Amino acid sequence: MKKYAYNEITLMQYIFLINGTQVGTGVLSLPRILAEKAGTDGWIAILIGWFCSVAASIFLVKAAAKYPEDTLYEILIRFFGKILGKALVLIYMFYFAFYAWTILVNACLYIKAWFLPKTPDYIILLLFSIPTFFVARNGLRVLGRYSELSFYMVMWIPLFLLIPLKDGNWLHFLPLLKEGWRPVLSAVPTTVFSFLGFEVAFFLYPFLQKKQHAVLGITIANTLTMLFYVFVTFVCFAYFSPDGIIEFNQPVLNLLKLIEFRFLERFDMVLLAVYLIVVSTAWMPCVYFAAFCSSQLLGKQDHSNYVTILLLIIIGLVFWLDPTWIESEGWQKMVTKGGLLLAFAAPPFLWVYSWIYEKFRRRVNH
Amino acid sequence: MKRKTLLCLSLVAMLMTGCVDQMYVEDVSLSLILGLDLDKNGHLLVYMSSPVFNKEAKEKEEKVEVKAVTIRDSRELFDMTVMALTSGSKTQLLLVGKKLLKRKNWIDYIDPFYRDPKNTVTTRVVAVDGPVSDVIFFRPKDKPRLPLYLANLVDTAYRRNVTVKTTLQEFHEQTTEKGITASITEMKKDHKIMLTGTALLDEQSNYKLSITPHENKFLRILQHKTKGDFPFTISVPLESNGHDHWISFSTPSIKAKTKVRYDNHFIFDTDVKMRVVITERLFPFNVRSDTAKLQKSIEKKMQADFERLIKKTQTKGIDPFGFGIYARAYTYPEWKKVQNQWGKAFSKADVNVKVHVTIGGMGTIK
Repeated sequence: MKKYAYNEITLMQYIFLINGTQVGTGVLSLPRILAEKAGTDGWIAILIGWFCSVAASIFLVKAAAKYPEDTLYEILIRFFGKILGKALVLIYMFYFAFYAWTILVNACLYIKAWFLPKTPDYIILLLFSIPTFFVARNGLRVLGRYSELSFYMVMWIPLFLLIPLKDGNWLHFLPLLKEGWRPVLSAVPTTVFSFLGFEVAFFLYPFLQKKQHAVLGITIANTLTMLFYVFVTFVCFAYFSPDGIIEFNQPVLNLLKLIEFRFLERFDMVLLAVYLIVVSTAWMPCVYFAAFCSSQLLGKQDHSNYVTILLLIIIGLVFWLDPTWIESEGWQKMVTKGGLLLAFAAPPFLWVYSWIYEKFRRRVNH
Repeated sequence: MKRKTLLCLSLVAMLMTGCVDQMYVEDVSLSLILGLDLDKNGHLLVYMSSPVFNKEAKEKEEKVEVKAVTIRDSRELFDMTVMALTSGSKTQLLLVGKKLLKRKNWIDYIDPFYRDPKNTVTTRVVAVDGPVSDVIFFRPKDKPRLPLYLANLVDTAYRRNVTVKTTLQEFHEQTTEKGITASITEMKKDHKIMLTGTALLDEQSNYKLSITPHENKFLRILQHKTKGDFPFTISVPLESNGHDHWISFSTPSIKAKTKVRYDNHFIFDTDVKMRVVITERLFPFNVRSDTAKLQKSIEKKMQADFERLIKKTQTKGIDPFGFGIYARAYTYPEWKKVQNQWGKAFSKADVNVKVHVTIGGMGTIK
């Protein structure tokens, strides 16, 4: 009998959950950061970043596939014993909680700066929490459905980016590799981090219906993210002059500001409001997995109480700290540092470790 | 039941969003035109024109002049006098006096347009030959209110390429891009308001040169922006008997192609292919039999006009055409050396324009 029969997710839900977790607010400033580091060749760095994240993803799936019915919690305890295993799960829990915190704070700051300047931060976060609670208190299946549905709902967004493209200038991209490979490589860490979020696959794997497609699914999810990033970066680089783009903190929003119809101005505001759906598919899995980890740590079946607690803590912290843009950027840097360990270093390590572990155990058994 | 309550609650919540933090249109003074100029002593003058939403007011437009330190500072001074709260979110035109255009670093003044997310960046940037107050306080009887009139004037003139239309965002691109210098609409008020062509700025965004509507068409072609109408009326050099041979034609298709080489200095070869349809001819000529002769003479005249415009800009050390973008794309190593003094390098460059005219039609009469 399967352990998670009621919460199995389909391949599509698996893809969109991973893709949703990867794409958040980062893409709004990604073109600027790439331009700062590598000029108009920055888009090449996205491809390299994609390659790295696909490689790490495959390791991750391979490591998880050794014990297809176990979640990361059970795997870690099996490998490292109760105490160390639990400590590691605790790290994952804090990582997801902190990840959710940074996305929520960042989204809140955007909303505040663009259209609710007078609304207090904690009210905005309270409003974010209501749908988050309703989705995350349920099982993974509901979360997967939400991610899939939102993906279909926001698929039209890239089409609007084609409007400013007609004023773009492709000459900005020439010559390719202006300064050689060095600046491109220096931008790779940034792009690698922008793919963070695929580590949720560790937790998704036991719930996946057709496990034989897990590698394919995670590759598709990474590729979707890559295509979106490359597309957005291309449009920004084509429109903005290479020297001008680095002056805008979020060039994507500046790009959308230019879209005007006879009946509608300031399209950036409309789009930012809709884009919240995309961002919500990034924070919701994080909230869910933080709660999931804590419920497993405490040996409880139901995790919905932990969702409430986490959301209350976040609202309380925002009320208390009143985060600024600069603080938020600092936290994002911390998350990406943690992500490097948990998403990029951990999967190959676990894979190698599981291999040694199996060998060692077999020898003992014989 | 629980669901219905929730649904009702969320509906109520949606309706309630308008209850707090609201803004009546009567309480906003939309600065549809913002004017910047210098007074006799070199102090910044800021002008504003905003619509008045009130039945009792006889004039439906408020116009104010204040002496301020910065644009943002002027807002406070406006609030002291105008009926409602000043808002820059709908600014249609930014009028800049020529006096200010000649001042060093004047461009720093327009920083709030880019920084404040509430401000729009699709504002048209217009240079005013003479005092800005003449334009702002002008009340023509046969025109709608000034902001609508001026915005429409610029938009329609731009369609026939009488002048350029540079929005604040485009202006930012042109000023930050090292390979091009900015060009903006130019306006003058004698007894009525007239668009006199285009004002060309240098790398520091200081005023350098004005060109006529006729020259503006050549500017647009060299910028490879061949959208809109390009109607020409020229005197072709058919015979050397001193008579003017006036001919007008429209150009259904213009294709420009630029190549660049480096041979101790930059050499640009631009091919302009035009298909013309004669719309007016004031001299007897057999177009059917002597097509080649007419084509040749049009080519000759156009080529001379192109060359004159390029010479003019080169002596001023400006490149409003964007040849620098081509230099960067195709001769990057050489460009890198001169990118910070592109104007100087461009003044030494050779620009060869070749015009190819095909007469596509002579109209409905011989």
